[in-house]
Amino acid sequence: MKIVKKGQAGTMQSSDLMVTVEPADELVIDIQSTVKKQFEHLIRAKLEEVLARCGVTAGKIGISDRGALDYAIEARLEAALQRAGGE
Amino acid sequence: MIAELLSGRGVLEARSLIERSGLSFEAGFDEMFGLYEAGQLVAAGARAGNILKMLAVEPAYQGGAALGELVTSLLNRARTAGHESLFIYTKPEYATSFEALNFRLLASQGKVALLEYGGGLNAWLAGCRRAAQDGLAGAVVMNCNPFTNGHRYLVETAASLVDTLYLFVVREDRSIFPFDVRFKLVEAGVRDIDNVIVLDSSSYIVSGATFPTYFLKQDDPVARIQMELDATVFGTRIAPAFGITRRFVGTEPCCPLTGGYNEAMKRILPGLGVEVVEVERIQVSSGVISASRVRELIGMNELSRLEEFVPPTTLAYLTSDAAAPIRKKLQMKTGANL
Repeated sequence: MKIVKKGQAGTMQSSDLMVTVEPADELVIDIQSTVKKQFEHLIRAKLEEVLARCGVTAGKIGISDRGALDYAIEARLEAALQRAGGE
Repeated sequence: MIAELLSGRGVLEARSLIERSGLSFEAGFDEMFGLYEAGQLVAAGARAGNILKMLAVEPAYQGGAALGELVTSLLNRARTAGHESLFIYTKPEYATSFEALNFRLLASQGKVALLEYGGGLNAWLAGCRRAAQDGLAGAVVMNCNPFTNGHRYLVETAASLVDTLYLFVVREDRSIFPFDVRFKLVEAGVRDIDNVIVLDSSSYIVSGATFPTYFLKQDDPVARIQMELDATVFGTRIAPAFGITRRFVGTEPCCPLTGGYNEAMKRILPGLGVEVVEVERIQVSSGVISASRVRELIGMNELSRLEEFVPPTTLAYLTSDAAAPIRKKLQMKTGANL
């Protein structure tokens, strides 16, 4: 799947996250999280897993997380990618 | 339920909530949202460009989901409007509430804290740092509306006192000469000085975010707070990234606001390891050189007298066809004042 335009999903509520994706030449992941210190590696691993499964190799992925669990990260990222994937 | 407040009644209710929370209501905003619980307005907040303002939550609803819901709506709308970074002014005691929403503190000044959402500052610094040099570094920040011999003199003097001089041109487009014109005239005007690097100030020095009242030219307590915030952002975030230890400013005999900004820098910057160096303005036979004088002369259509005030690079532009719309605007302004 290719990111062809900006896409966004999620909220800024506690236990949720906001995902933004936009086209870029390479894959860049920017993680902002209230629990970055403790869980950045796990969040990144989850994001990379979903990106790999969707076949995304390039794009700017930004997340603003407030302690979301894995399934929320997965769902929000998938939704943002689908919105960014064109028709 | 979250709703955009469009009606007079919704905004009036929000105004009452905002004022009860100890904030002042300001009319100019792009949109305002309210959060309703059982028909009662319990939280409100607004956005003006890339600045969030007047966020207020009823005490009984604080610490819950209200703020997150409000900021989600404001952020979505800001993104749609093309803003990647957002700023908020708040009281320092509320800064942590916004840090919990992944806002980052840029500076706190005692009464007011400035926070940013999105990685704007770091992205900008990373972009600029490619130009960074080793050695003794200084900085000047200029609006240059337009670039004059006075600016040129300040840059020359400052550049002779440091190894590298970073010249930040104010990006905020609230001046009669647009940013790209001001930037090009500065670049052309200092091209022969080897150790000057001209940079875009982005949103982080004298901008609508750090120092909005600069453009209103009002000297009041709010302006003073903003000056200190602006100087603090410079001293704590920008100067260290470039190794800047001196900030050069022109003496300000006329404009109280710019004079006040110089004073604020002298209060704040030395404590942060940046010396403030004032450079005396140059005079010509008809007085001090200033960009406002240049604009006046254009307004009176006395282009032949500009030579004394601006370098050849600026003069060539001011008398060119490309500058005709700006000349016309200034002349209309002068006409209106007569």
